Parts: sequence; C-alpha cells; structure tokens
Amino acid sequence: MKLEVKGIRKSFGDKEVLHGVSFQVEGGKALGLLGRNGAGKTTTIRILMDVFHADSGEILLDGAKFVPSRHQIGYLPEERGLYPKRTVIDQMVYLANLRGLKPREAKESAKKWLARLEIAEYETKKLETLSKGNQQKVQLAATLVSNPGIVILDEPFSGLDPVNSQILKDVVNELIGEGRLVIFSSHQMSYVEEFCDNIAIINQGEVVLAGDLKEIKKEYGKNRLVLAAENYTMEQLAGKVEKEWPELVEISGRNKEFLILELKPGVDRKGLLAKLAGADMEVERFGRYEPSLNDIFVRKVGEEE
Amino acid sequence: MRKFSVVLKYELKEYFTNKVFMGLTLFLALLGAAALFLPRFVDLSGLTGVQVTEEADQGETSPSEEEKEVFLYVDKAGVVRPEILQQFFPHVSWQEAADETSVKTKVEAEEAGAGFVVTGPTEYEYYIFNKSMDDRNTAAFDQAMQCFYRMDYADTTGWNLEEIDAVYNMPITVTEQVLNKDSGSNYWYCYILVIIVFMLIVYYGQMIAVSVTNEKSNRAIEVLVTSTSPNSLLFGKVIAGAIGGVFQMGILLGATLLSYQINREQWGGVLDIFLHIPTEVILAFAFFGLGGYLFYAFLYGAMGALVSKTEDVSKSASGLMIVIMIVYFFSLVQLSNVDGSVMKVLSFLPVSSYSTMFARIGMGTVALWEIIVSFLILVASIFGAGILGAKLYRMGTLRYGNPIKLSTALKDLKKSE
Repeated sequence: MKLEVKGIRKSFGDKEVLHGVSFQVEGGKALGLLGRNGAGKTTTIRILMDVFHADSGEILLDGAKFVPSRHQIGYLPEERGLYPKRTVIDQMVYLANLRGLKPREAKESAKKWLARLEIAEYETKKLETLSKGNQQKVQLAATLVSNPGIVILDEPFSGLDPVNSQILKDVVNELIGEGRLVIFSSHQMSYVEEFCDNIAIINQGEVVLAGDLKEIKKEYGKNRLVLAAENYTMEQLAGKVEKEWPELVEISGRNKEFLILELKPGVDRKGLLAKLAGADMEVERFGRYEPSLNDIFVRKVGEEE
Repeated sequence: MRKFSVVLKYELKEYFTNKVFMGLTLFLALLGAAALFLPRFVDLSGLTGVQVTEEADQGETSPSEEEKEVFLYVDKAGVVRPEILQQFFPHVSWQEAADETSVKTKVEAEEAGAGFVVTGPTEYEYYIFNKSMDDRNTAAFDQAMQCFYRMDYADTTGWNLEEIDAVYNMPITVTEQVLNKDSGSNYWYCYILVIIVFMLIVYYGQMIAVSVTNEKSNRAIEVLVTSTSPNSLLFGKVIAGAIGGVFQMGILLGATLLSYQINREQWGGVLDIFLHIPTEVILAFAFFGLGGYLFYAFLYGAMGALVSKTEDVSKSASGLMIVIMIVYFFSLVQLSNVDGSVMKVLSFLPVSSYSTMFARIGMGTVALWEIIVSFLILVASIFGAGILGAKLYRMGTLRYGNPIKLSTALKDLKKSE
C-alpha cells in the first residue's frame, strides 16, 4: 500500500494556506509529518480525510485516486474530543458503526482495544469521570476501533505519563509491524525518530524537506564532526579552534558536551586529526556528527524563515 | 443512509435514556391526566356545574341543620320574609337578632358568619368579620330584597306575581345549525395549538443548536466529521429531535385529550373550547406543525455550527428567534380574522404556514388546493433548509474561535461554490 500526496493546494478565502504539498508513505512504514503550529499539517490531514476539498493536486493510493470513504481510516485529532457524558463503550460502538462495522463486530472490537490499552474496567463509565491519561487512551481506542488500514495520529503522546506512553509506543510499533500505513504528526521529535522511516517537514504551507530519515541525517551530518577535550572548557576549545585552525574548520554549533565543526572545502578528517594529535589536547570525543531530528527541524525551518 | 440511521439511533438513545427528559414527560402527562380526573373525586361543581356523582346519588348535597352556618338579620323595615331568605341561602341557618349591637357582637365573636340589618325596603347594612375574595352574600341578599319588594308591591296592588313572572321570563328555544366553522368555539384550541407549536419550535430548536455546538466545544466533531458525512450528522440530529419532540408532545397531548374525553361528562363539557379538537384540526396541526418544526430545526442546527461555545447559541440564533416571534405575534393577533388577507398570505409562507394554515383550517374557509399548495411549499422549503443547513454545518463545524456571522458564512459558502 502506497499513499502519494501530489501538489496539494488549498485556500481559505483569499489566503492560500497550502502551496503544493507533496509527500508519500508506504504501508509498514511510518511517515513523520512535522511542522510548526499553523504550518498546514492539520489542513493537509483534513484534506486526506476528505473533510476539506483541495483546490488542486491529487492523492493516490497504489496509483489510483484515493477515495477516503472506501477505506478504513483511523484519525486521532490533535484537538481531542468525544462525548463527556456518554459511556466509553457507547461512543466507541457508535464510532465503529459509523465507520461501517456491524453492531456486534463494533462491540467486540471496542472491547478488544479497551483491553489492549488496559482500560477495560472503564467501559461502562462516563468519559468525563476518567483521568486525562485514560481519556486519551479511550480516544486512541476510538481511533483504532474500526481496525483501520491507514492510521493518522496527531500528537498521540501529549498528556500521557511514561507508563501509558510505553503502552502507546508498543501499540504504534504493532500497527507499523502489521503493515498498516501510519502518518505520525508530533512536535516531540524523539518519538518521530523512534517510529518513522520517512519524514516530511511542512513550513508555511509547503514541504521544505522530505525523504528517508536516515538519508536526511546522513546528508545533514556530511563534513561535520564533533569535538570535545578533557582539559578544555567549551569556551576555551572554541577559542582555540577559531584561532589555530580557521583554514580547516568553522564552528557550526555547540552544546554542553561538544562542539560541532564543519570541514572547509578540500579538507578531510585526517588533516584535522593530524592537527589535533600535535596539539596539547586530551581529546575526549572526536567523530562524525549525526544530527538529531530536532537539530534538522530547527535548522531547516530556521533557514526558511 | 446507513450512517444516517446510525446517527439517528445514537441521538434518539440520548433522548430516551435521558432521565430528565423521560421523567419530565411522564410527570407532566400524569399531572395533566390527574387534573382532568379530579371531578370524579373532588367537588368542582363551582367550576363545572356538575356535582360529584357519588354524593349526588346519596342525596348529601345539603348540610344538616347543625352543620349550617348561622347568619343574623334585624328587620327594622318589616319587609323580610324568612322563608324566601332561606331559598336564597339554602346552606345557612337564619336567626333574627334583637338589634344592631347584638349582630355586631356575635359576628365579631364569630358566633355568626354574617349579619344583615335591614333599615328600609331598599336599604340594608352588611356585617362580616373577614371578607373573602369570593364573598357573594350581598349579591344574594340584594336579590332577596328585590324579591321582598316585588312581593310587597304585588300584595298592595293585587297583581298575580307568578303570572307576570311567566310573561317576563318566557323561555326561548334555539336550535343552532353551524354549516361550516364555529369560530367562537374553535378559537381557544387554535390559540392553544399556536402557542404549543411555537414552544415546540423554540424549545427543540434551541436543544438541537446547543447539541451541535456542544460537539464543537468538546471537539467530538473532529472525530465525527472524519467518520461520516456532515449531512448524516445534521439530518440524524434534526430528525431525532423531531421524533423526541413528537414523542414528548404526543404523550402530553394524548394523555390530556384522552383523559378529558374519559371525563368529559364530569366536566360538563366546560373545557370543550380547549380540548374538544376536531380530527381535521389535529391532523393539520400534526402535518404543518411538524413541517414547520423541521424547517426551523435545520436552520437552528446550522446556527449552532456557527459558534463554538454554548453560551453564544442564543446570539447566533437570534435572527431566527425574531422571525419566529413575528410569526407568533401575527398568528395570534390575526386569529380573530382568519379569512383576512394577512392570514391568507402567511398561510402560504414556509416561515409561518406551520401555525397559520391550521388556524385557517380550524376557524376559517380554506379550499383543499390551498392546503395542498401550502404543504408542498413547506415540504420544498424543508428540503431547501436541510440542504442550506447541511452546507452551513459543514462549513462551520471545524471553524473554532469567534462566532461566525450568518452573512459571512453565506458569503463564504457562495465563494466556495
């Protein structure tokens, strides 16, 4: 199963909010859909769900036009909400029925997911009587109650404690392992890195970076190294690098543990290593820099602005 | 269609498992029925003119001599005839007092219920300790005094009072043949039905609007619109509200009308003007009332979708409320002139035919073709309101924040098409 979003444009009134968004995602792999607040992620998802109609562009599933009503889609919206005064099982069965399950199947599936998410004892309770974390789990159960082939999770971890987060992580991994097509939208980059093979970063209504996450990390780490020394503070080390080896490297970033250096054109790691060996420096850390998704996101979105 | 029925079922469950809704319906129905069964157990003859059957059979309508209240009189003019007085006050034991002071003292001591001091053939003084709101003693005593006067006059002149009375009070027999509508007797139930349909539209319309807004404010709409079409959601909600309303009103009206029918004899038919409603008026009320309700319910649903907080619903629906109030005002004011041109025009407009057409059917002259055309216009308008409502609902449901003005919503709708 392969879902392709191609050149989606959407305007509200006179304002165009999506300027040709494109990305693709395959079954058994998760796509991280990233972007700042108001970047256009939710609008893109709503177009996918056929809540909004795109002005132009197309969405294909396995090469054919994607018609959402013909597929089971589970959508966990960022704006959580169910019926606070109705029982958990009542509303889950209702949603499953709306998505095409027969009453009996709907009840069985609802019970299965409540048990899987360890909240079976609350099935006859009104939603408003549950803790925020358990309400969040009910919402996830409601998303999955129709056993969807396509799952769209918008900030699924917000409001969950570490124990519940672990349960959710296991469920998401199961979904991916079962070959379902998962779109995962979150600001918590560590979760995206954990689940997603591909990412698409949307900024101001357009995709500014998309592709295989490993390749992107490799590309962003190219010609960049990390350096730390036991007998230098970060300040001293930065001063030394800027003063003694300006023709070899420039400092592209730093944190509490190391400096990030970018090799100048024509310089390789061996050249820098030779210089380090001759310096009065007890090297603690030296190696290829692998950027975190957070670094890539901040850098890419920052560049665009 | 299947999704519509799922929404309908879920929304109906909301009504029928709601303890307040069901409890209130049953309570009011029982209350209405109990009130109409009252004349079987309580003497309401003052209101109905009919004695409680059991008591009448036993001949216990008159209290015993010991139970009778004591009234006093002093006859300074020498005109009082005690046997006549007794006929005007059958439940009173009359005693003649020595003088005015004695009357006053006994009334003050509550040894006598009232006292009358007759000072001339056409004058008397009335003594009472606490005068009640419905004290009719002076009215009865006035009649007794007039009777004394006439009898004295007849005695003096030698007239036969019975003969004169028969000539002056000759009974006339009338057989009324109303060939079409009797507006006098139909007015009140039409009046009541106009009020009922008005309340039905406003009450359930608001409930639907609040229910739509609730789904926005608790964000359930986010999941709902991705699970089914907005049309199924709005139509399911409105039709469920209609069924809930018809159920509640049906139970209340049914219990009231049936209870009255059972006890009509005991009521002496005094409530016929409110509750003895002809079948054709009930049918017209059912069809036009339900049609008008659906017409407004779709629009109320759309108004609910234009706001995000339940406290903004009444503001959003104020335009609709104004239209409904104007129709209500005109319907009631024109009820005494149902064949006038204002009522004729109003009975064809979908915003007002729900109350004016059945009033015309109940009280005026209306041709069958007029009823059919008016109903067809109403049905077409319901579909129109449904389609417009669903479009506004679809557009408004996912727009949070400040309330959307209807004019803005319509402009956006036009643009998007």
